[in-house]
Amino acid sequence: MKKILIIEDDLFLQGLEASKLTKSGYEIITAKDGTEAMEKIQEPGIDLVLLDLILPDFNGFEIMKKIRETESVKNIPILVFSNLSEEKDVEQAKALGSIDFMVKSNFTLDELVMHIETALKK
Amino acid sequence: MHDDIEKLKEENARLQKIIVVKSDLISITAHQLRTSLSAVKWILKMFADKDFGDINNEQKEYINKALTSSERMIAVVSNLLALNHADEPVVILEPEEVDIKMLIEDTVVEFYGETHKKNIVIEFQEPTCDIPTIQCDKDMIRVVLESIIENAIKYSNPKDKILITLRMNTENNTIIICIHDNGIGIKEEDKKHIFSKFFRAENAKKEGVTGSGLGLFITQNILQQHGGSISLESTENNGTTFFVTLPIS
Repeated sequence: MKKILIIEDDLFLQGLEASKLTKSGYEIITAKDGTEAMEKIQEPGIDLVLLDLILPDFNGFEIMKKIRETESVKNIPILVFSNLSEEKDVEQAKALGSIDFMVKSNFTLDELVMHIETALKK
Repeated sequence: MHDDIEKLKEENARLQKIIVVKSDLISITAHQLRTSLSAVKWILKMFADKDFGDINNEQKEYINKALTSSERMIAVVSNLLALNHADEPVVILEPEEVDIKMLIEDTVVEFYGETHKKNIVIEFQEPTCDIPTIQCDKDMIRVVLESIIENAIKYSNPKDKILITLRMNTENNTIIICIHDNGIGIKEEDKKHIFSKFFRAENAKKEGVTGSGLGLFITQNILQQHGGSISLESTENNGTTFFVTLPIS
């Protein structure tokens, strides 16, 4: 079973995302801020990070940077799932190595599952 | 002379600050709206897909209507963000064949709550000729109609009547929608600013009616993107008529 770390501060959205992905056959761990995310990412066997960009302590870009600088986890694919949509945000996420950038309100959770499936096949 | 220039510079700097603050406020609000709308959209989709159990056809129909409505709101928020950030506003249009008469009727119905509260009547006069369908982005033209009708209601007095007419100009192959109210009107000196970003007329602010100063700015941009236009006739304290013109093809 593939393991996904959801980093999302809105606990209601986090719950919906976790519920859908669990039903779709993924093992889910969650973090509500950057500090918790950097602890949880050390858990072995994480296959993908689903990352929100606006978080209470570090922003998503800082977290991406930290992940890329941490040898043991630097190759874990990161899929950005945020309601930011400006070109500069997309570019910055790409530059930091995100494999996909999805604007939450433009997608359904089924479509999120499809994007994750595609990302994990790469 | 020198003092006047300094004063103007100070005023200009003050206005620039206000624009930045308002722009940031819109970004933050739009982001919060998107977050809430995402949750609404996802949950409705889960209901429609029967993730929470079986639903009957009537329930499915209403859930799908609510889903469409949430997607429309998301599109509006996205365009608001695009307009807020762009120096040259760009609306991404998705044109389709639209029965404009039906669109006006549907939009008027949406305002039943507000008109009922103020005891205002909206009368949509039957066009005197057949109005052909037009190529436009239905959701965006709905935003235009909503914006003007909402203003007409906000700035009308209780028990007033709002009159909407629709006609065709065969000379230049356009349709013209007129929305007339008997409300507070627009001062002569404010008319040239009324479509500017964040502009709110003093008499509107005095009425204590809230507004962002973006409605007519967005409206004009949407219409321009369609090759259409908006103009107005108004007398202070004696009502306003907005004329929306759209090309037929």
